[in-house]
Amino acid sequence: METGQGTAAAHVYSSGRGKQMNCAEFQRDLPLIIDAGGTEQQEEHLRNCEVCRGLVSDLRYIAEQAKLLIPMLEPSPRVWEGIEEKLKREGLVKHVQARRS
Amino acid sequence: MAIRKTAEPQETVDTLRTSAPAQQLVDAPESVPARPYLNTPKKVLPSGISEAEAIERAKDGDGGCFEALYSLHKRRVYSLCLRMTGNTAEAEDLTQEAFLQLYRKIATFRGESAFSTWLHRLAVNVVLMHLRKKGLPEVSLQETLEPTEEDGPKKDIGSQDQVLAGSIDRVNLERAIESLPPGYRIIFVLHDIEGYEHNEIAEMMGCSIGNSKSQLHKARMKLRDLLKVTRVERAASKR
Repeated sequence: METGQGTAAAHVYSSGRGKQMNCAEFQRDLPLIIDAGGTEQQEEHLRNCEVCRGLVSDLRYIAEQAKLLIPMLEPSPRVWEGIEEKLKREGLVKHVQARRS
Repeated sequence: MAIRKTAEPQETVDTLRTSAPAQQLVDAPESVPARPYLNTPKKVLPSGISEAEAIERAKDGDGGCFEALYSLHKRRVYSLCLRMTGNTAEAEDLTQEAFLQLYRKIATFRGESAFSTWLHRLAVNVVLMHLRKKGLPEVSLQETLEPTEEDGPKKDIGSQDQVLAGSIDRVNLERAIESLPPGYRIIFVLHDIEGYEHNEIAEMMGCSIGNSKSQLHKARMKLRDLLKVTRVERAASKR
């Protein structure tokens, strides 16, 4: 069994059914694999290849962390002041509350 | 490790984007969120009135209620604008423009989707329109699913680094996103942060679903490179 370390040639694995997949082939299909899941052959490559396993793990980790980003950024008070000024100028509002500090 | 589809925020986003009347958002807690900030169990404004009531009053030109709606949604709209443009001044201008358009169009809101979803889509359109006017690249129509060597991150054949898991903090991720090329950044923000599906992104940006998927993959690969560099620099500074 290959260890997944060393040269690119070492990253070619036999599926046991005469078919082989190397890292280049696996990574070429990676957008589809991440999106829709992998074939049996791709699963086998992933089980045996530490490099590709790390890559898939990283991409999923990034996607998961991105979901946790909270929209906590506060716009400057200038933004509301500008909105208020334009609405008043255009006569669009009936009654705008006094600015709160 | 099994190859499974990346967990998508389907439950919450779909719930927020389907035809729940606006009133239900006030009365009923939403489903378990994939993104905590989308979970607003009861949208009751500081003034004590519900969001739905504030919307109705704002439709009649009540500036006070409009300001309350602004206060409720300003962070999410501004964060979207800032993450998509990577520029504070532009983000402020676009936030202002989005809310001005909201005020002018709020009478057309019929409650067929959640108000936040409707406003968010409006804001995305404002940003995309701005970027088109600036002539910034969004998604190349010639893109295919095959990454290109010149604009994509290099492949990872034969290299073995420590995985990123556990090493990313929010600040570093935000910085890395900010430094992405605009085309990558927009797709990443819309899909991975804001939860839009590829078909929605394709429709908004006028590209194919395949292009959207391709750009997202390149964006994640580029982010991985950037975050690994950050980690190395951080480790070096500690020595």
